[in-house]
Formats: sequence, C-alpha cells, structure tokens
Amino acid sequence: MARIAAILRALAVAFRRDWSSLVASGANNFLLFGMLFLQSAGLFLYLIAVLVLLLPASSDPLRTIPPVRLALWPLAPRERRLLRLLSPWLNPLTWLLAAVFVWALRGRVTFGLLALIAGLFAAGFLLSDLPVDPGRAIWRSIPSIPGPLGSLIRKNLREILCTLDFYCALLVSMAGLVWRISAHQVPPQAPIVIAIYVVLALSSHAQGLFGLDGESGFVRYRLLPLRGWQILAAKDSAFLLVSLLLTLPSAPFAGIGAACLALAVGHGPSVKSRHSQLRWRFSPGSSFGTGLTQVVALTLAAAATAVGGAWVILPALALCAASAFWYGRGIESASW
Amino acid sequence: MISCRNLTRRFGDFTAVDHLIFDVSPGGICAFLGPNGAGKSTTLKMLTGLLPPTSGEAIVCRLNAAARSVTLKRRIGVLPEDLGLFDDLTVEEHLLLTGRVYGVSHDETRARAAQLLRALGLASASRTFAVACSHGMRKKTALAMALLPNPDVLFLDEPFEAIDPVTSKIMQELLASAARRGTTIFFTSHILTAVERIATQLILIRGGKIVHNSLAGDWPKSLEDLYFELVESPATEDLAWLGSPQS
Repeated sequence: MARIAAILRALAVAFRRDWSSLVASGANNFLLFGMLFLQSAGLFLYLIAVLVLLLPASSDPLRTIPPVRLALWPLAPRERRLLRLLSPWLNPLTWLLAAVFVWALRGRVTFGLLALIAGLFAAGFLLSDLPVDPGRAIWRSIPSIPGPLGSLIRKNLREILCTLDFYCALLVSMAGLVWRISAHQVPPQAPIVIAIYVVLALSSHAQGLFGLDGESGFVRYRLLPLRGWQILAAKDSAFLLVSLLLTLPSAPFAGIGAACLALAVGHGPSVKSRHSQLRWRFSPGSSFGTGLTQVVALTLAAAATAVGGAWVILPALALCAASAFWYGRGIESASW
Repeated sequence: MISCRNLTRRFGDFTAVDHLIFDVSPGGICAFLGPNGAGKSTTLKMLTGLLPPTSGEAIVCRLNAAARSVTLKRRIGVLPEDLGLFDDLTVEEHLLLTGRVYGVSHDETRARAAQLLRALGLASASRTFAVACSHGMRKKTALAMALLPNPDVLFLDEPFEAIDPVTSKIMQELLASAARRGTTIFFTSHILTAVERIATQLILIRGGKIVHNSLAGDWPKSLEDLYFELVESPATEDLAWLGSPQS
C-alpha cells in the first residue's frame, strides 16, 4: 500500500502541473476579451471554450506515467488494479461527474445532461489512453506545399492544428455558418463580427509563433540560410491560410485584414520574449497590453473592410510585412 | 578553412572558452575532444554563428562566423548539440526542407535524400515524425540534413554517440571520403576509437583552454593514454552498497 500511496502522490503532483498548464491560459485573447466585450452575452463563447477544454481536461491521470516505467515497477497485479481504480480520482472532473450523478439521483439535473457530461468525459478519458500513432493523426495530413518555404509552412500549419485556439475558432466559424443558414434575418454586420471572433480566437497564437517549435526548432531556424523575415513569412502564411479558411463562411476580407494586424502586433512578442507552449492547450498570449493592442487593431482592420471595402487588406498586408521585416532582424541577431 | 584567433566566451564570471587559437586546413578532419563542460559545444556554437564570442574571432570559409551571414550558412553543414529538428516534420520532410532552403534542385534533393536515407539506415523510418523517432534516428536525421547540401565545412557535435555500430562505421567512411574530396570536418566526440580512425588533427580542451593540438602521426602515445594524461584521468569511487545483499 505504501508503494501505491507513493505513486499516487507523484501522480497527483504531475497531474496537477498538467492541469495547471491547461487552465493557465493567462492572457488568451478569446477567453479574456471575448467575454469582456460580450459580458453576459458571452456565455455562448464560454460554452465553446469549455467544450474545447473538456477533452484534454478529461485525460487519464495514469497516462502521465510513461508505460515503460509503469511496466518496470515491481507492482503486484492487485496493486496495479488498485492504481487503475484510484488514479482517475486525481482528476477533479471525476469528482464533478460524481456530483452530477448524485444531483441526477436527487432529480436536480436530468439524466440526459448526466449522460452528455459522462459521455464527453469518457471520450476524453479513453482517447487519452489510446495508443494513437501521432504520424497518422488527421492534423498531420497536410498536403505538400510548393516553394522554398513550403515545408516550413506545412509544419506551421500542423502546429496551429495542435492548439485549442484553432478548434475554438473552428467552432465559432461553424456556429456562425449554422446561424446564418438557419436565421430568418441576419444583420448585415453579423458576418464581420463572426470573422472578428474567429480571428480573435486565433490571435493569441500570433503572439507566440515559435512556442511550439521549442529550442531545438529555433536552433534549426538559426542554422538555415534564411533571413529572419522569411522565417516569419512562413509563420504568417500558415496563420493567414487558416484565418482565410475559417472566415470564408463569414467575411474573408475582414478576416484576412484582422489576421494581418494580429500578426503585425504579435511579431514583436513572438521574437523578443519567446515562450514555449504545450500542445493541446490555449495559446497563453504574452501580456494583457499586447493582447489589448492586438484586439483593438484586428477589430479596427475588420471594421475598416466593412466601411472601406476589400482594398483595406492591402495596407494591412503592408503593415504585417513591415513588421515581419523589422522583427525578422531580431531572429538573425538572437543568441542564447 | 577554419581559423580561431583568441576566441573567448564568458557567461558572467565564468569563462567557458578561453583564448582559443587554432587552424584547420581544407580537407582536414579535426577532432575536438574534452570532458563534459570543457567548452566544446560552446566553441562549436561560436564557429557556426549560433553564439557570438565575447572577444576574439572565428573565421570559417574566410567569413567571420559572428556576422552570421546567409552566405556562410549556405557553405556549412551543422549537426548541433540538440539536433535542431521540428517535431511536426517527418524524417524525409526534414531532408526535403533542407534541399529547398539550400537551393538544391528538386530532383537532386530527392536523389540525395533517398541515398542518405539508405546509407544511414533511415529508409524504413522516412515517414516517421521526428517527435516519434528514437534519439539515434533523430541524430541520423540531423546528420543527413548537414550532409545533403554538400557543404564546404561540416561541424558535427558528437556525431557517433547514440548511433549503432554499423551506422557509425558507415558515417566514418562517408566523412573520410568527403574529406578526401575536400570537405573540411570539425567534430567533437567521446568515442576515441572513431577519432583514431578518421581524425587528421586532434585538439584537446580542458577548462576552456587548449591543452594539445597536433596532426595525426604526431601523437606521442595512444589517444586514450594521451587523453587521460592531459585531460582527465579516471578516478573511480567504490559504491560499497552496490551488489551487496539488499537491506
């Protein structure tokens, strides 16, 4: 029993760190400003964020121990069964599920809601235990892109698909599309607002463009015979492509304009204060001030396309390019 | 081809590399040896432009390494300490990226990549993402990236460590034949047999200072004896509890 207690204690520490990285989304623009602007009307955005968070939050705590290490430990079969039984209770969601179950028994919540929450939790729990080959995952299936920077753009697209920001933006985009199709009367400004929220959901990633490359990736960038602006151009291309695809159902020009400004503001913190980011988490953003600047800039850019037309994306692109050129020099002179 | 003049790097009060002076001629294979923390990787980072020196200069291909010009980067191939791989690219995609970025034609890149994958025993893992590769496979991928553009100078940080014996032997032969054709090679290693087999120049470093620099044939004794004498001798402490009945 002492062995199991020691393992559970270590598991609790590891899982708490994992969880804190999940909820420490700091200055994420979508979570911070989305709700700030909409206040009580932002409940829908909160629901989207919770839905996106629920899958990684439901993961099996036991998976934090490498399977090889678990297999090597001198545990009796009875101890392994006990560990399997007790470890899920390290996840706060298990306790929440138990509470919902009790409420359902007392008639305070419906069994339908219980089934929905339990289903989502079970999906997250079981998915985290599946021995999925990361190479076969759907988010890796990006076709080859031509050009000297094609391989880098492809890699950057794969990185974006490993952030929760993308899935939030995707849900907002899809919800907006469904609403536009099903609603009798859609206000003319609605597509612009949807595009703003899509880019808002993606924008924090633009503040940490190198977050998923890690130190190893950054070393490679420094060794490649590329100028700093070319490296940022590959990052920007991937971000703009995702923004374009997700704002196609709403207002693509507004989306591209907004994305350009999000990038123009985000290049500085991406290069100057490189912070690492975990996969399947919200991009944390660099600071409240940067986030606020980004949100104001992207909103103005999207609004300007509504007033001034599609040509507004040209100065937005120029600003983005100038910013990439300026901060690209920072990549060339960086040292550690 | 490589020239260091009083190359120095300090981190605060600590001097990692202290006034290094040495030259490596074209086509030479220079082994740069020393214990962990001696300053080998720091020197390599300065030679490849990854780290600016505090004072002194490193000249590679007649270009100042500290300037970090794109021209110099095109002429050198590097196997860095932490390999410099992207988790989101496969082994083969790393090689295709290298060919494109270094300006090698598409057909030539494909041909060289296929040859390298075969030579280094990576063919079966070509579609494996770097994140899913073993350390040895990752190292071979990084080495293939260094070789693919056919650089004038190769800088390799511990190329033979964590590599299976067959691939290690193949790599040694590849490097020796590349050097015969004019490629200059500068590498660090702890595998003394590999060093003895291919190196044409030996530099030993201890505490950031060069303690020995000679050409092959000028070594006064076996490399292992020389290393233990000049760099560090093995002092073992007996762990009395190891092997005794369990308490």
